Parts: sequence; structure tokens; C-alpha cells
Amino acid sequence: MLTPYDFQENLQQRAQYIRNRLRAGSPVIGISYDNGVLLLALKRRGRKVYEIYDRLMFSAIGNQADVENLRLAAIDFAHQEGFVRSPDDVTIQRVVGFALSPALKKAFGDPLTTPFVARALFAELHDAPEGDQFYTLNYDGEFLPYERFAVIGGAPHAEEQTTRYLEAQLTRIPTLETALPIALTAWGVAYEAAQQEDVDAVSEDAARNRLREMLGEAQVEVGILERQTLRENRFRLLPQNQLEPYLKRL
Amino acid sequence: MTIQTYSGDFYELLQQYQAQSGVRVPLLSPIDAPNPAPNAALEVHGTTVIALKFQGGVLNVGDRRATAANAVMYDRADKIIPLDDYTLVAIAGAYGRAMEVVRYLRHSFKYYARSQLQPMSLDGKLQEVSRALSANLPNALGGIGLFIPILSVYDPDRDSGRIFFYDVSGARFETPEYGAAGSGSERIRGVFDYITKTRGPFSQRPLEEALREAILLLDIAADLDAATGGIDKVLPTARYVNREGVFEVPEATIRDIVQSIRSGGNG
Repeated sequence: MLTPYDFQENLQQRAQYIRNRLRAGSPVIGISYDNGVLLLALKRRGRKVYEIYDRLMFSAIGNQADVENLRLAAIDFAHQEGFVRSPDDVTIQRVVGFALSPALKKAFGDPLTTPFVARALFAELHDAPEGDQFYTLNYDGEFLPYERFAVIGGAPHAEEQTTRYLEAQLTRIPTLETALPIALTAWGVAYEAAQQEDVDAVSEDAARNRLREMLGEAQVEVGILERQTLRENRFRLLPQNQLEPYLKRL
Repeated sequence: MTIQTYSGDFYELLQQYQAQSGVRVPLLSPIDAPNPAPNAALEVHGTTVIALKFQGGVLNVGDRRATAANAVMYDRADKIIPLDDYTLVAIAGAYGRAMEVVRYLRHSFKYYARSQLQPMSLDGKLQEVSRALSANLPNALGGIGLFIPILSVYDPDRDSGRIFFYDVSGARFETPEYGAAGSGSERIRGVFDYITKTRGPFSQRPLEEALREAILLLDIAADLDAATGGIDKVLPTARYVNREGVFEVPEATIRDIVQSIRSGGNG
């Protein structure tokens, strides 16, 4: 029997489909520290953390092609605006809120197109850590601003737990050296929590164990935007040998 | 279904933007000036910029004066500009158009690197400069917007600095030891040859020596050319590029060299 088209049911099904696919996603942790901002993720093969513009970087979980589309759309908008107007006018809220969000919402609500399977985290560097901003962008176009730190993971309850963990750990503005171990454990918390439905709080040990286990098949990738640097590009990926000591101490 | 392609071409992106928004991007459309422009004489590129090789890189030094005919318009123009972490450009000529092209190139290199996840090749960058210059050719012919860039790059494949210069239409030439552009450069060109022939190539000498040599040459150029700002009133700018990236020579270092030249030390 043919059932009539139900808008609400359709959206629910689409959301369910996307949530199931995001669930296995590898989380991303963002932390603002004294001399910059970092995004930490685990990569299996390809890159995970990308530079968008002079003071803007991005990472996402989800379908590779969708993530690429988001990334390129953000880069296009940022460079177009940065050239036609000024690099100072390329802000995180314009890129996420106006360039990307409406397109995501449109794709999600339109029954004739495939929705984006992606959840993204953007980070923007300012002159002082107090000004640094993070935005999460959801597959349905919803976006939320954060300060000091932010996380995206496979499930909302995993993000909540990780946020609580980061809240407790980051009592003051960290340095890169103190932020990295916190970000690593937070990654473990986010990943472990997303795998388990009913555990209320993942212990730090369980989180680190999970991370150690994952390091067998994946590599930690950390992208940073530096506040003070002599280089033209503020963005760079931390070299593996700089991460090694932190991974050994896990 | 249409498959969108991403070539990382910034020119293409701007063309799309222009077509979609209807907003005119000045770089892509020549300024409508009568041909030739009545004030073409204003476009004498009065300046001196010098690019010198040193061990492991290239040094750029430029005066700070911007002129229009015989008026000094501005005393703190910066004519040595980094395009990315491996590329410096020194400009002589119409400042407005030059800055627009420099802005374009900076975006173009970064846009390619960020979208394609690999840096633009050296040849790709040099070609992009040619393209920007030939796009600017109608302006140059119209008498507004003639400028000449010198590109200094660090070439990781050869582990050495390289210098390229262009003509107005975008033709590219590589020069082995030094490059100079602007009205003052004509008058000191022979000195470079004299130095390399009597004291050996610049590329074998340390940065400090090249810096001293370049500032002294700029001083001589300023003596012979009214449109070159010289080294006394406002200190010249100096930047260099080597394996580690692009760096600015601190003002204090330049001031010391200028003082030592004035007090007769080697000057």
C-alpha cells in the first residue's frame, strides 16, 4: 500500500539515518590555549584537520565527500570575501552562519536531495585567547558558538560527557603543553562514550585505554593556529615527533 | 547530475563570483581610461628595489618613497611584500595596481594550497604572476597601472634562492645573481656587475654582507635618482627568504648599517 508523504516522518528518518552513520565517527576536540588554538583528531588515512583561511580552521566527522564539499565551500567563500572585501571580514560566524548553514538546511529538508552526512567543528583565532571562537555545524544546518573549548563526536551524549570533562580540566587558559594531554584524554572520553549507550561517565583510564588501542590503527593529528608567529601562515600541523612524548605518557 | 570540479584556480572563482553577483571585480576588468590616459606621465616608476642572492636565500631591499611626477606623495610605502612563506615580491611602478595584483597573488597561492592540500608549484606560481600581469596589460597600455615585479623565491628542490623578473606583458626571466627595478635601478645596474666580477658571486656570501651591499647600492641610487627615497630620512625595508621562510630584517639592524655607512665605515 502506498502511504502518503509525511514531512515529519521523512525528516525523522533522514535524521536517524545520518545519526547512525555519524555514530562511528572519530571525535574532534578543540581547545584555545595561550598562544593559539588547536584541533585534535585521529586520522586513519586522509587528513582530518584543515586550514580554511588565515585565522580559520576546520575538522569534521561524516561522509568523506560531504566533508570535502563543506570544506571547499568554506574555502571558496572565505577567499572570495577576503579578496573582494578584506581578510578582516572573513569571520567564523559569517562563514558558518551565512555561507554554509542555509545550504545544509536546504539539503536536509529537501526530499529530493541527499542530505549531508557531516558534523563539523570550526575554530577561529583572535588576538587574545578570550576572543577565540568555536562553532559546531550540524547536518541540518544548526550551528552553535562556543568559547575556550568545543567538541564534536558520534553522539550528543558523548559530546556532553566530554564537555563536562573539559570543563573540569580547563580551569585556566592552558599552554599547548598542558592542553595536549587534556585534548588526548578528552578524545578518548568522546569516542568511548559514543560507543556505549548507558554508561554515565567514562573514566579517564577507560578513555586512555581506548585511545591507546585506537593508536594501533590510526594517528593523532593536531592542527594549530598560532597567535604569535613569524611565518606567513598561522596554520600548521604539529609534526609527529612533537606529539610522540604526549602519546608515550598516555 | 553535474559534477563540480575544483581546480583551486582563484581566477576562476573570482570570475564565477563576478558572473553570479554582478559585482565588478576591478582586477578582472580594465579601468576605462582614455587611450592613452592624459596623466600617463604620472606613471614613471620612480623607485629602487633590489634583490640580491646570498648563501641559502634571497634578500630584497627597497626605498620607501612613492612619487607622482615630481611630487613626493608618501614616504612610507612598503614595496617588498611576502606572497607566502617561500615567496617575496618587490614592486616598481603604479602602486595601486601593483597592490591589487599582490593581493590577488597572495589569495591565489593560498587558495590553491588550502583547497588542493598541496602548495602551488614554483612554476605554477611564476605562471600565475605572468597571468596577472597580462590581465593588467590593458591598464599598462592605457598609461595607468604599469608596474614591474621582481619575484624572489626559495626553491626547495634546488635548496637555493632564485630571482625572477618580468616585463609589462608578463614575460618571465630568471636572473642568476641579482635583480633591480625602478628608475634608480638603471643608474646602479653596472655596479652589480662590478661587484660580482671583482668580489665573486653574491650567492656565495653571507646575509650580512649582502644586506650592507644592498643598502649602500640603494644610497647610491638615491644620490642619482630624485624619485628614490634613500636611506636617511626613512629607513629602507629589507626582507629575505630562505629555507626557514620569509623574514623581515629588524629596523635596528638596518639603522646600524646606515650609521656605519654614514660614519665612513666602508661607505
